[in-house]
Amino acid sequence: MFFALTDDQREFDSAVRGYLAERFDLDAVRGVVEDSGSDGHPASLWKAAGEQGWLAALVPEEHDGLGLGLVEAQVIARALGAGVAPGPWRATVLAAEAVRLAGSDEQQAAWLPRFAAGGAVGAFTLRGSAPGVLPAVEYGGVADVVVARSGHGLALVEGATATPRGSYDGTARLADLDAGAGTALPGATAEVVEELAARATVLVAADLVGVAREAITRTVAYDRDREQFGVPVGSFQAIKHALADLHVGVTMAEHAALYAAHAVDARLEDAPLAVSVAKAKASDVAVQATGAMIQYHGGIGYTWEHEAHFFYKRAKRLAGQWGDADSHRERIAALTLPE
Amino acid sequence: MDLTYTAAEEEFRDELRAWLRANIPEEWGRPEFWESLGDEESFRVRRDWERDKAEAGFAGIAWPTEYGGRGGTPGMKAIYDEEMVRANAPRTVNALGLTFLAPTVMAIGTDAQKKEIIGPLLRNEVIWCQGFSEPGAGSDLAAISTRGVRDGDDFVVSGQKVWTTNAVHGDKIFAMVRTEPGSQRHRGISMLLIDMHQPGVDARPLKQMSGASEFGEVFFDDAHVPVTECLGEIGEGWRTAMLLLSFERGASGIGQYTEFRRQYDEIAAVAKRLGRHRDPVVRGKLARVLTELECLRLHAMHVLTEVEQGRDLGFEASMTKLQWSETFQDLWEVFDDVLGEDATLDAVDGLDLRPWHAQSMWSRSVTIWGGSSQVQRNVTAERVLGLPR
Ligand SMILES: Cc1cc2nc3c(=O)[nH]c(=O)nc-3n(C[C@H](O)[C@H](O)[C@H](O)COP(=O)(O)OP(=O)(O)OC[C@H]3O[C@@H](n4cnc5c(N)ncnc54)[C@H](O)[C@@H]3O)c2cc1C
Repeated sequence: MFFALTDDQREFDSAVRGYLAERFDLDAVRGVVEDSGSDGHPASLWKAAGEQGWLAALVPEEHDGLGLGLVEAQVIARALGAGVAPGPWRATVLAAEAVRLAGSDEQQAAWLPRFAAGGAVGAFTLRGSAPGVLPAVEYGGVADVVVARSGHGLALVEGATATPRGSYDGTARLADLDAGAGTALPGATAEVVEELAARATVLVAADLVGVAREAITRTVAYDRDREQFGVPVGSFQAIKHALADLHVGVTMAEHAALYAAHAVDARLEDAPLAVSVAKAKASDVAVQATGAMIQYHGGIGYTWEHEAHFFYKRAKRLAGQWGDADSHRERIAALTLPE
Repeated sequence: MDLTYTAAEEEFRDELRAWLRANIPEEWGRPEFWESLGDEESFRVRRDWERDKAEAGFAGIAWPTEYGGRGGTPGMKAIYDEEMVRANAPRTVNALGLTFLAPTVMAIGTDAQKKEIIGPLLRNEVIWCQGFSEPGAGSDLAAISTRGVRDGDDFVVSGQKVWTTNAVHGDKIFAMVRTEPGSQRHRGISMLLIDMHQPGVDARPLKQMSGASEFGEVFFDDAHVPVTECLGEIGEGWRTAMLLLSFERGASGIGQYTEFRRQYDEIAAVAKRLGRHRDPVVRGKLARVLTELECLRLHAMHVLTEVEQGRDLGFEASMTKLQWSETFQDLWEVFDDVLGEDATLDAVDGLDLRPWHAQSMWSRSVTIWGGSSQVQRNVTAERVLGLPR
């Protein structure tokens, strides 16, 4: 039995976190959040994503990737969530996954090496259908190509017209895309589409888990120092118990995201259940943890100046993406209750 | 990631399964059977069966062979827990002795204690009680006042223990006793191994909210215990107790998951039978519990991994306790939600609900014993998160 990250996977995790801490900290995130007219796609971060293999993780070696699995990808997603990092990493990774799983040899050869190196930005959505309008696509505005539904399958669409969609989560950018017909991905069967949705769901769950863990860690640090009534507020049992419960909840969500990633990659029988468990748990706990982050910082936590709102708003947006907690619970019910 | 067991572990599973199949009558799977026996008889049946199981080599799974254990891996212990549930095997009657006392004796007992305690415990020749809680000392164990006064080669013990599991079936009790007159809090306590069959010991049953009497109270009135019957050093009982309690930190979550998941499936079947399985609110609640149950399974796999890697889980055990006990309680809350206005009835639609109610009542206790949920949250906040005391 080995249900944990390997040393290599841990190193990957530290590398991403180390980079963000040194080169793209919360001040840099603030720059993106406050420049709401910008494309939310900082060049330095994108360069790092290409150079350090974050984008190449899931791309096969024959296409200049690292040939790793969803477990490694969820490690990266979690670290990016912890840093509330902006940028089209997940959007591009998912577009690449669509090409990897459903693209022709030519499509793979044309796109995968570019995605892996950061030479092209991708986007992926299952809302709307091409040709037509694809609503609120994550990083649709900077994508060179978007993978979207088309008929019964999927298509690769270049040259879509983007109209920005405002969102109170300033750590990402969304756009409505007016997309042409594009070219079909020939292998996009219903099963492949479902698997891509599962992969997207796992990566979003992992991001949420990263957000939630960081929210608690920062809140604990603050409440150890902040004094009221002559003692640190973290010594009050009401706060201790809430944070202890959140710690348990976030730890469970970490297990759930890790397992779901493995279950999808290894095609375990319970993969659909595992994915919904991960997303339901991660969505709930991230909203709770980031809400607690605001509450247990008091007034400062409610200010624009403080970073709590980056975490809270990102949690709110991602909690609803790829199925909110209630919809995943309904899937869980359907999978575990008799007809 | 490797979620499989080794070939040797799977072989052990096959062996155990075969033995269980041959040695558990089918009727044991029915709760009515155990109820029809009554407390006394059911305890005896379980005690005998467990002895036979030990003699067949299926006890002390991960204990060293020198102590009569099987010398198995932590994985085998997890498999054992899982298969026992699957086979409807009766629960152990000697949980406190097996889980806590035996490993502590192996770690710090004298040679004589090792010899005298472990073998008889494995064969259920001696049923052990845990004498920690007192009327004035529950969560605050250091407040105990039961005292032991030195009299030649003996301690003479007076005081009272309460909520003592198996009090009326107990043969011996490992008890926290203040042996240093006038000592305060953690100091001056000894862990004494007291024979319960003597005039100075009086064990009385206490009836629980479920109606059963699994626990009781134990009165000591000049009970005698030789000073050699002390586990750990005299006066160092607190240290012994902390070591003893640390043995809760095993990988028992896999067996618990197996048991609770089966209960979930049974509750789901009841929901269908009553036509409640299509109610979106009920579905949402069931799915919420299932989510937590699956997290418990994954957490158990994480704990097993840590144990196999030789890591000490330390205070992480508090998280395990919170996750399983709170989830188990929620599961039975949802059962009542499924039943709706009929929740308290003895029977509904031809279903005898009483065995289920027994589980539901039991679920109220699990967040109290073994360190209450509040105490576990304190530990998690202070020892894991590092919040100030
Ligand atoms: C079924 C069952 C079997 C048991 N078996 C045994 C046994 O075999 N041997 C044995 O020694 N004991 C046994 N116990 C006793 C058990 O260990 C105690 O009940 C437990 O430690 C709680 O102590 P208490 O009952 O005195 O409650 P108290 O400690 O008085 O607690 C009352 C309430 O206050 C809360 N509380 C206490 N301290 C704090 C704190 N610091 N912060 C916040 N809240 C707090 C508790 O969580 C609880 O909600 C058993 C109990 C049960 C229910």
